[in-house]
Amino acid sequence: MNKEMRDLAAWSIKAGKSAGAENCRTSISRSRFVDISYRERKPENIKEASSKELFIEVFVNGRYSGQSTSDLRKDALKDFIANAVSTTKLLAEDPYRTLPDPKYYKGRVDKDLGMFDPAYKKITPEGRHKLVKAIEDTCLSKGGDKVISVTARGYDSHEESVLLTSNGFEGFQEATVFFAGGQMTVQDVGDRRPQGYNYLVSVTKKGLTTPEKIGAGVVKRTLDLLGGKKIKTETLPIIIENRNVPRILGGFLAAMYGRNVQQKQSFLADKKGKKIASKVFTIIDDPFVPSGLGSRLYDEDGFAANKRIMIDQGVLKEFFVDWYYSRKLGWEPTAGGPSNLVIPPGKRSVKEIMKDLGRGIYITGFIGGNSNSTTGDASVGIIGHLFENGKPVQAVAEMNIADNHLKFWDRLAEAANDPWTYSSWRTPSLVFTDVVVSGI
Amino acid sequence: MKNITRRTFLKNAGRAVAVTAAIPGLPWSWVNLARAKTPGYFESEFGITDSLCNKVLAKALSKGGDFADLYFEHSIRNWVLLEDGKVNRAYCDVALGVGIRTVKGDQVGYGFTQELNEKSMLASASTAATIADAKPKKPADQFVALKLKNYYPLKTLLTSVPLESKLPLVQSVNDKCFSLSPLIVKVNAGFHDDQKRILIVTSDGTKAEDLLPRNYLYASVVAEKNGKRERAGWNFGGRKDFSYYTQALADEIAKTTVDRALVLFDAVQPPAGEMPVVLGPGVTGVLLHEAIGHGMEADFNRKKISTYSTMIGKKVAEPFVTIVDDGTNPGYLGSINVDDEGTPGQRTVLVDNGILSSYMHDKISARHYKVKPTGNGRRQNYQHFIQPRMRNTYMIAGPAAPEDVIKSVDKGIFVQDVSNGQVKIGEGDFAFFVSQGRLIENGKLTAPIKDVNIMGNGPKMLQNVTMVANDMEMNKGGTGACGKGGQAVPCGFGQPTCLVKSMTVGGVKAKGGRR
Repeated sequence: MNKEMRDLAAWSIKAGKSAGAENCRTSISRSRFVDISYRERKPENIKEASSKELFIEVFVNGRYSGQSTSDLRKDALKDFIANAVSTTKLLAEDPYRTLPDPKYYKGRVDKDLGMFDPAYKKITPEGRHKLVKAIEDTCLSKGGDKVISVTARGYDSHEESVLLTSNGFEGFQEATVFFAGGQMTVQDVGDRRPQGYNYLVSVTKKGLTTPEKIGAGVVKRTLDLLGGKKIKTETLPIIIENRNVPRILGGFLAAMYGRNVQQKQSFLADKKGKKIASKVFTIIDDPFVPSGLGSRLYDEDGFAANKRIMIDQGVLKEFFVDWYYSRKLGWEPTAGGPSNLVIPPGKRSVKEIMKDLGRGIYITGFIGGNSNSTTGDASVGIIGHLFENGKPVQAVAEMNIADNHLKFWDRLAEAANDPWTYSSWRTPSLVFTDVVVSGI
Repeated sequence: MKNITRRTFLKNAGRAVAVTAAIPGLPWSWVNLARAKTPGYFESEFGITDSLCNKVLAKALSKGGDFADLYFEHSIRNWVLLEDGKVNRAYCDVALGVGIRTVKGDQVGYGFTQELNEKSMLASASTAATIADAKPKKPADQFVALKLKNYYPLKTLLTSVPLESKLPLVQSVNDKCFSLSPLIVKVNAGFHDDQKRILIVTSDGTKAEDLLPRNYLYASVVAEKNGKRERAGWNFGGRKDFSYYTQALADEIAKTTVDRALVLFDAVQPPAGEMPVVLGPGVTGVLLHEAIGHGMEADFNRKKISTYSTMIGKKVAEPFVTIVDDGTNPGYLGSINVDDEGTPGQRTVLVDNGILSSYMHDKISARHYKVKPTGNGRRQNYQHFIQPRMRNTYMIAGPAAPEDVIKSVDKGIFVQDVSNGQVKIGEGDFAFFVSQGRLIENGKLTAPIKDVNIMGNGPKMLQNVTMVANDMEMNKGGTGACGKGGQAVPCGFGQPTCLVKSMTVGGVKAKGGRR
């Protein structure tokens, strides 16, 4: 625990109570980052800074407000907090708004989740530049004569946060984040200039793999876009690439939040314990993945983290319910939101699956679109490849898929064996049957 | 849509809530934010003198570079939110800091600090300076204040509007929504205000101060009918004085929101495939912003990423199409008295009677193209560096009558509102979600439509605009934020009714069927 941050949080709670609050919850975060990008073999941007923020929630006579500031001087904070309390008194009473029952703080696992990489301390400015230069070099050397522009980027940060409540919760989290990648634009026929990217994010430096692999990924993903065009509207099987699954899964997940259930904005509201999707569909919320981007020991309410099966072989088991909406719903709370979302991988590679499917679309990107958590209807633009007999035959663009989530996830046929680990949503590529892909 | 937690709510901002000003016990900085006149604000409140700026800029240019600038910001953002019938939560965020930039050609070094003291600012300036590697350069000794026009005058500073004035306004939106239809089962409403003070000081000897308001009143409702639920929302806002938010306006928001939800019970999904699309006036201007505007931002052209990078002076649309990006529209969301690097707000014609006439420039791209900056250098806040960004982007009214545009279509769709747009700059491809619209059958508007995407290619779409009507309308919302490079800035948009002769509509059935 960072003592300075902990002491300031404790002081702010004391100041809140002195000003008339019954209870307070304070979080303080502090981070330092360096962000470098290269273009045309020279630094394009170099950015470096530290930032900090205090967020205090005050509970006054059954009323509630939250206030944040970056000015952490005690004299300024004292007035800031006093004002937060007087402001709160003007609002309407909300009987559901309290700090959580402390029993939910208990049972916190005492475990090192590997969220701080000691290698962070050894990073030098030269090392940062070397990494980003190497990504750019790979892109330029492998990209060929169609390359118009390449931007490579590297970012690293060290983040600390403390959470304290006036009813006994104390927590401290520290993490490092490493990010590396690039984007490339190439000349296609006519005026088209496809732009592809490859970015990796990891809690550990070594988790980023090598700059050469990252650069090669940029090149492949960009050149794969060449010749993209829309084809005839057709009902086909689709494979959604692992890293792109969260875009479509996010729309489904929105209906699993307690807030949306209570506000009548969830198409899953009355479906707990019921079959809502194909048997292939299982989602686990796992806060204990070693060095996982979403790993944690407690959530924003201070609830001790727990591993939960949210959807089990197509059956909805749990919602994400924080303390406030659990009280409004009269439900047992779980967690306010996901930690690491895991869809268990299957056994076959995307290549093997493609061979079996015959003709279909491999989706490598989404564009625009929307998902309605109230009705479950969704519509989104797609980018990818038409494949036949396991081989790509035509890049596709300007196309679209639209469906209702309940129907769409019921047609989930298979998960591939390639979970994407550079995100807190660790999803493998997913196969869906009979999807209308709109084009010409 | 992911659920928004309390803390991410504040970080991401852009919605509703909260607080303060004319309440006893205000912190000193808030009092001053509310009281002080714009000129000299940062000097009187934080001791930011010309000599201090000179010292920091000298450090930023200590390794050479073409120029450097300082961007001071002090802002307060408030949200007041209603849920389940009561205005029962408020949020507030106060931000204070300075961003320091050193520019060498098209290279940028950047640092920022939240502590406005000499030591911290010099340290950030040293970071910015690392982009260059030549002999030190001397900044100007004195800084001349720019004389700016004011496109968003305020009778009352937003921080001086008491919370007691905002609460009944939000409550009335809720009550009105419920009174309009027994089908309404949930209402969320809120008021947001944001007051940002900025000071820009540049190494070439200019400085500019501004006070930028931003605010909106919004509602969203859920309606229930025969076991089905539909949701819709609406808002009004911009860079407005609080007097803009009358009871009549609150009632209009409520009525529009309820109407938009109820019509969805009768909505169908259109057939999928290519068809003519009529874009209605006003809100659909966001499509112009995304599909065409971004491709005309100069950084994408300087890097030859945009399909428009070779098109200056060439025909990109029919002669009746003129598109402008304008920072001077009074009270609109994208209006700016001065951009974030010290170029005064202005109007820029992008497409002049079908010919691509200008990109949108910041200082870096203007130097690259050897033209004057167009006042499009913008940033989200002091933690971010400048990019060329749109302000209020709109198409000028054309010659056709709106009804004639619709009559000209045999089978197609009429788009009244779109959201969640995205564009791929290099390809020009875009996708938009149609949240409100109608089928067009035999030249007439028929069934409402919902939950579909429209897809296309920006440059092709612009070429395919075959009719432009005389009913130009600006979007009147206050929530429009444009995302680029990890930064969100408020933008306005608008357009008249116009016909795009062919676009891809993403429905769930092949052509010919309705669901």
